[in-house]
Amino acid sequence: MGAVGKKDKMKKEEEEKEERVEEEAPRARSVPEVLDGGGSPVDSGSDYEDYSDDGDSEDYELSEEDLESGEEGAAGSGSDQDESEDGNSEEFELLEESESGESDSQEHKGSVKTSNKGESSNDHARIDDSGSEISETDQRAEESDSSEDEVPSRNTIGDVPLEWYKDEEHIGYNVKGKKIKKKERQDKLDAFLASADDSKNWRKINDEYNDEVVELTKDETRLIRRLLKGKAPHAGFDPYPDYVDFFKWDDAKHPLSNAPEPKRRFIPSKWEAKRVAKYVRAIREGLIKLDKPKEEPRFYNLWGDDLNSKDKAGHLAYIPAPKPKLPGHDESYNPSLEYIPTQEEINSYQLMYEEDRPKFIPRRYTSLKSVPAYENAVNDSFERCMDLYMSYRAWKKRLNIDPESLKPKLPSRKDLKPYPVTCYLEYRGHEGAVVSISTEASGQWIASGSADGTVRIWEVETGRCRGVWTIGEPVQCVSWNPLSELPILAIAAGQDVLLLNTGLGNEEDQKNIQELLQVEISGTAGDSDEQPLVSWLQDDRCKHEAIRLRHFKTVTSVEWHRKGDYLSTVTPAGESRAILIHQLSKKITQKIPFKLHGLPVSSVFHPSRSIFFVSTKKNVRVYDLLKQKLIKKLETGLREVSSIAIHPQGDNLIVGSREGKLCWFDMDLSSQPYKTLQCHSKDITNVAFHRSYPLFASCSDDCTAYVFHGMVYSDFNQNPLIVPLEILRGHVSSNGRGVMDCKFHPRQPWLFTSGADSVVRLYCH
Amino acid sequence: MPKHYRPAGKKKEGNAAKYVTRSQAVKLLQVSLVTFRRLCILKGVFPREPKKKVKGNHHTYYHLKDILFVKHDPLLEKFREMRTYEKKIKKAEAKKNKDLYERLRTRKPTYTLDRLILERYPKFVDALRDLDDCLSMVHLFAALPALERENIEVKRIHNCRKLSHEWQAYIARTHKLRKVFISVKGIYYQAEVEGQKITWLTPHALQQVLPEDVDYNVMLTFLEFYETLLAFSNFKLYHSINVNYPPILDPQLEALAEELYALSRYLDANTRSSHASGSDQVEGQQNEKQHDESDLRLAQLQHQLPHNEPGVLMHLVEDAAGEDEEDEDTKECKNFFKDMKFFLGREVPRESLLFVIPAFGGIVSWEGDGAPFREADQSITHQIVDRPTQGHKFLSREYVQPQWIYDCVNARIILPTEGYLVGRVPPPHLSPFVDNEAEGYVPDYAETIKRLQAAARNEVLPMPGTVKEDLEDPQRLLVEGIIDRAEANEAAEKKRKMATLEKQYHDELKMELEGAQYSSSMVNQNIESNAASGEAREESVPDLQQIADDSANMSKIVMSRKKRRLLEAMEIGKKRKQANVDLLNERKKKNEAGQAPKKK
Repeated sequence: MGAVGKKDKMKKEEEEKEERVEEEAPRARSVPEVLDGGGSPVDSGSDYEDYSDDGDSEDYELSEEDLESGEEGAAGSGSDQDESEDGNSEEFELLEESESGESDSQEHKGSVKTSNKGESSNDHARIDDSGSEISETDQRAEESDSSEDEVPSRNTIGDVPLEWYKDEEHIGYNVKGKKIKKKERQDKLDAFLASADDSKNWRKINDEYNDEVVELTKDETRLIRRLLKGKAPHAGFDPYPDYVDFFKWDDAKHPLSNAPEPKRRFIPSKWEAKRVAKYVRAIREGLIKLDKPKEEPRFYNLWGDDLNSKDKAGHLAYIPAPKPKLPGHDESYNPSLEYIPTQEEINSYQLMYEEDRPKFIPRRYTSLKSVPAYENAVNDSFERCMDLYMSYRAWKKRLNIDPESLKPKLPSRKDLKPYPVTCYLEYRGHEGAVVSISTEASGQWIASGSADGTVRIWEVETGRCRGVWTIGEPVQCVSWNPLSELPILAIAAGQDVLLLNTGLGNEEDQKNIQELLQVEISGTAGDSDEQPLVSWLQDDRCKHEAIRLRHFKTVTSVEWHRKGDYLSTVTPAGESRAILIHQLSKKITQKIPFKLHGLPVSSVFHPSRSIFFVSTKKNVRVYDLLKQKLIKKLETGLREVSSIAIHPQGDNLIVGSREGKLCWFDMDLSSQPYKTLQCHSKDITNVAFHRSYPLFASCSDDCTAYVFHGMVYSDFNQNPLIVPLEILRGHVSSNGRGVMDCKFHPRQPWLFTSGADSVVRLYCH
Repeated sequence: MPKHYRPAGKKKEGNAAKYVTRSQAVKLLQVSLVTFRRLCILKGVFPREPKKKVKGNHHTYYHLKDILFVKHDPLLEKFREMRTYEKKIKKAEAKKNKDLYERLRTRKPTYTLDRLILERYPKFVDALRDLDDCLSMVHLFAALPALERENIEVKRIHNCRKLSHEWQAYIARTHKLRKVFISVKGIYYQAEVEGQKITWLTPHALQQVLPEDVDYNVMLTFLEFYETLLAFSNFKLYHSINVNYPPILDPQLEALAEELYALSRYLDANTRSSHASGSDQVEGQQNEKQHDESDLRLAQLQHQLPHNEPGVLMHLVEDAAGEDEEDEDTKECKNFFKDMKFFLGREVPRESLLFVIPAFGGIVSWEGDGAPFREADQSITHQIVDRPTQGHKFLSREYVQPQWIYDCVNARIILPTEGYLVGRVPPPHLSPFVDNEAEGYVPDYAETIKRLQAAARNEVLPMPGTVKEDLEDPQRLLVEGIIDRAEANEAAEKKRKMATLEKQYHDELKMELEGAQYSSSMVNQNIESNAASGEAREESVPDLQQIADDSANMSKIVMSRKKRRLLEAMEIGKKRKQANVDLLNERKKKNEAGQAPKKK
């Protein structure tokens, strides 16, 4: 124990002190020894160790100094100053230690200080505690250090409560049994002053048992610190020493077992040999490779020089994927302003169908820096991948043709002149839709029948109205007798067909006509009860010279035979009496001896032979009137036939339909249409051939009339040539009807059209 | 007997025999659907549409020959082998046979795709033709983050980065880049290699988001093939310019993420050295050979030709010597940014510009370590910045926005920089891939560029010289640009006026014609009055339109139905296109109308 009682004010026997000093010297020397011997940096850093070594050596020197000073100070206390200096230096060191981060030391310091100060006051118990603790630790340290160096304490009272001596003069007894007197109580002021003067004061602890002040050495403070940290008190203590086996294994005189060594210890293992053999075999066979596989250059000139490469064969042709579409202006990060849709347009996209909606909405960024990452980059790439391996690929022929080249080469229209081009005249006067028109054989007159119940005759060249006949019922059809010397007009209105004397022609003709019509009257009167089909009556209602043929159903169309004696009428609802043929000269009516399949629409006589055409809604039937049998059935393939016209040579036929289609039949060729022309957008109301020019026309409810060039060659090997020539406009639609009828002038290439707008127009070349 | 009845024992015929559905194909190959998908992707097998879908409309059909083609591929067997090997590893692990497990794990069987590539692309040109998707994909993955969850490994991302840089380095070195376009989706590049136009898309250099609803396995399989393909292509291309293929890069630059610059330096160094050492001799020999040949030919020809025409022959020789060098376009690209020095600001897309500018013969540097020269370098002619204001300015150089580079490159002329100065909104960036004439709508700026191009072509010969002077005097260039534009505008105005005059004249002529017809009718009819004639005038305009229509319709009537339908479809397409153009024009008018009051 390094308790050095230098500060003792009580100077006792000098011998005792000398003794202690003598003891002190070897112990102080021993401490560094111990430290060196321990030497293991188990619980502290090496620098700390160094430091402590230094400190120890210093301490050692110091103690020697002290020794001297103590010797000197035996005479007087003049050496206090030196010591205080030393103390200062020491404290400085300690402060450094405390700076190294151990707050414990400071606490400790504080507690020690207080203990030193508050000797008398309320901190007693604590001081006691600390004192006893320190003393205990001291003892333990002593024990662990060496029991021989133990200094017997001054007091010999043993472990009794010190309270017992509280009121006594002495504190106990020394070895010799003499009382040890209590020291004089130090003044508080003195104590404070001493503490203020003495920088080593914090190290001093009052030992109540021995009633003396003990100053802790550096080693002791270190030891306390260790204990506070919960470590072994000595630095040299190794808590985990190597295990030293106490048993001596070899050279034992007596073995543990007496059994002889087994044979297997001497012969090599069979299983090991087998395993080795297996490995060897595997290595030899190359199943186990010991060295790592060599890194070959992965890439090389795969295609070589491209010369010896062969074409692919043996499987289907590879179809390269189409390349992705290249971006347009609108995908730019900074497109022109016109590429950016307005907000309204963007909103309107929401109303579109999903597939119609534009995939990409252009946006504009004012600088490149502000362009964000494209959020669909991976999705787009993935889409592309899916397209590459999931979608069908096939070669598609891309038509990169000029649309003009699709159009057939037609002869120039200029070469096909003359044909009607422009509206030349308008015949106005009707008050209802002009349903039907008819040109007189000479070409001088034109008759028109209107829905207002009147029939008018116009002079073609001047547009003068020659006469008006009021029929009373809406006129369905008007038709001139084809003979120029018999200008009789057949008018179909309601259930009646009127054969009207128009009063044209010279007197001789007039006489003939009057005769003809007159004779009829008597004829009808006589035949009336024998004729169940039609009643021939003299018209008396309208004061016209006319014959009235009364049918039992509404008549829609009247057609004259080329010789002007026969005329046919069509009553669509007439069933077996639907088509009747009347003979004017004999005033006879007969029905055709054929069965009609479907509703009849119109009928035409062949221009040169005794052949009769009847069109039903689907087909056109051709009858021979002489042999009384069906010659041919023409299949139009149309939905609803509205009109037919026959070429003046009689081998070709055009059929107009309600779906706006026009069929040209070449009857020598086939019963199918030779050509179907889709020209009108609405119902075709009528079709017409020109009598001498190679022209035909169609008129429709879409207010247009088409004029075609339709050349029929006498050479059978040459097909008819059909060239559209002109679209004639001018009529105005009314009540959804457009052009109602069209007829060619018998000699000139002129076309008359009549419209629902109650106008008849003449188109000239 | 009905047609569909097939007697027992008779083989299937026609579509039923030729095509199999996908599930049939999977069954036939005895693989899982995943493996089948991989095989299809790697082998390039795709579904084919049969004329008659025997099994129904909702199936995918493969041609049987395609499937057999897959069936005979060794890769199929390899995949099976790998699968069994995986099982072995799993077993070893389950039985805690660590030794075996380790050994098996380290020696997994691998497969190579080089044979497949050669099979799919027997010639190098074929491979180049199909390189578009490959490049786009590799560039995309080079910009993606690695994701463990989706098996996107860091290694592969790095490999993609490496491959894309190698490709770019080659293109830049050989000056094969032709067009660049910055779109919202990324940057499109178009290069022309061996006569093939290769277009690819690189995403913007920003963090990409990996969406959830994407099957990355499919993409990774594609990527696997593409990586190999691009590596082999790169090898071939590097080989063609006498450079060793897996390039060895300067590690310092690599660490700075300047692989592209490192690569270009590597390429430069290598080609130079090889030129110096090996190829010099070869070239010399070749030259000699050529000379020999040409001499021979010369001698032969001289027999035939009169003696006084050696000039023609000299030409021949020169042509032969110069032919193998480079084509016209490449030469132009090579010297496009010649004598220009660029410096990139921090905020501009460096990777892209580092690729584009050298590809067009410019010298470029940037802010950062490893850069070839500093910002303070006096010889810099252009500094590319993309910020609202520029603090310190060097007077010796121009400060332009990055779009200027791209627009110049696409227009192939050095555009005036005034529109691209710092802080301005640059003129619209137009796509170089659009044929404006075919599209029917020419944006204003395209018109301006065209004018400038025409102007540049007129003085094409002094161009390189003047460019240099111009650059020294940016003020002058600016002024010139303004003058150019003014002239262009004037010319445009004149043209427009002329056009309107012409149109007016035509209209009048037609009106006259119409009028004459009408007047004749009037005379004949004796009804029409003056007011009616005015009406006729008014009507004449739509009538004209109708006449034109009629004449167009005329021939349509006689056409067969098939042809008519075709023509109608064409017309619909045209109409749609026209509607698009009309929309653009309308928007433009609106914009102009909106801007005009603002200016006031």
